[in-house]
Amino acid sequence: MLNISKKRPFKHMGYIEVIIRKKRKPYISLKLHLTMDIKLVLRKIKGNQTIESVKTLLNVDKNKAIYYVHRLRKAGYVKTKKLSDNKRIYNISFENRLGGESYQGIINKNSPLKIMTSEVYKIYGKKPSLEETLVYAIKSKRLRIILASLALFKKIENWGELYKLGKKNYVERQIGALYDLSRKIMRTRKMAKRFRNNSLPKQKEKFVYIIPNLRSKDFNEIEKTWKIYIPFNKADLEVYK
Amino acid sequence: MISIERQQGLLLAISKRLKKKITVYAVGGTAMMFLGLKDTTLDIDLVFENQIDKTYFKEAIKSLGYKEMDSVIVYGGRANRPEMLTLGDERFDLFVEEVIDFMFSENMKKRANQTHQFGDKLVLKIANLHDIILMKCATDRLKDLDDARNIINNTEVNWELIVEEAKNQDDLGKKKAIFELGYFLEKLNEKFKIKAPKKITDKLWDLLKDKIEERKNK
Repeated sequence: MLNISKKRPFKHMGYIEVIIRKKRKPYISLKLHLTMDIKLVLRKIKGNQTIESVKTLLNVDKNKAIYYVHRLRKAGYVKTKKLSDNKRIYNISFENRLGGESYQGIINKNSPLKIMTSEVYKIYGKKPSLEETLVYAIKSKRLRIILASLALFKKIENWGELYKLGKKNYVERQIGALYDLSRKIMRTRKMAKRFRNNSLPKQKEKFVYIIPNLRSKDFNEIEKTWKIYIPFNKADLEVYK
Repeated sequence: MISIERQQGLLLAISKRLKKKITVYAVGGTAMMFLGLKDTTLDIDLVFENQIDKTYFKEAIKSLGYKEMDSVIVYGGRANRPEMLTLGDERFDLFVEEVIDFMFSENMKKRANQTHQFGDKLVLKIANLHDIILMKCATDRLKDLDDARNIINNTEVNWELIVEEAKNQDDLGKKKAIFELGYFLEKLNEKFKIKAPKKITDKLWDLLKDKIEERKNK
């Protein structure tokens, strides 16, 4: 009986085992032990997963599922979070490999209201400040992003930088109005007097929308002070209670 | 070959050397790398909105040691060739608004919804994958067919959108765009047996016939 077994490693494909046996009749059986291409695995299981869900999605046993997560992590595609019950949640995505910081990530880190956008904005080589993130949120003109970003006022300290950025992007009055609004629902850092004095609207200035055509029924006073239409009503702010 | 990590390092180094903040669109292999469709690229294809931005960018990469090269070597005598700068086996192809027979249109700019900012001064927008196919069709180098195959095989392509943009290109004065796209799709079929849906190719040729008739009547 002749028994030859050859294992040949492939870059992304595991190995092929060739067994040639000679019994009564010579025959060749080719056993394929191919692991899936790592890119294919990434496509199949991208998103937030547990080992159980990886098992189901790839239709493999637990050991193989762990192996695939390990391979993906090695390639930089996985971020892991541990839950309170010690379970692990894997965030699997191509963007993880790119690294960098995102405004969305900073908002989610600092706000009780989490956001998810299809738009990708990543920053490399520097950590964006909270002040920059707030300006980004206002300029996005998206209700949920602006609502979530109100929580940033709890931590914003550099009013000088915020004023500079606001002025550069023509949103200093919007910042002032949203600050006054956030003071109604949470404890925040105190705004520098200079910021307020420099940003308050002059008589000639007209009312401006933060989000086109959205105005508040409940915060008219803030709107009048800053000549800014606030896109939220009281009910929208309940997430902060 | 430029890897993802090398490319990021390079773009950060360029950002540090830029004298003003600029926005630029990635259209080729670079865009595919940011979309997770490729691990390495031969060259970095970029489209600028104006000559001034390109000049600033060129100055920055020249300060890194990149030297100008003749684009005729790669693109022959075609119109709207890029300015090319190279260092070792790395290369930058710098276009302004136009990429050979195609225009990087306003619609394409709107569709580029991925933004990657390097340092304070370099903002890189990633072209939509449909527009990458069109740009691949425009540059039509040896590797471009292969890249287009990669996109088509690994993503869901909205062919209607591609035809719509080709029509838009014709409206923008790029009269060869529809023909070039049809020819590119035929080559994809011949070389890789990748077929665009029949109704799409029919639509494309009908469109081409209409445009020829239109021009005759004028």
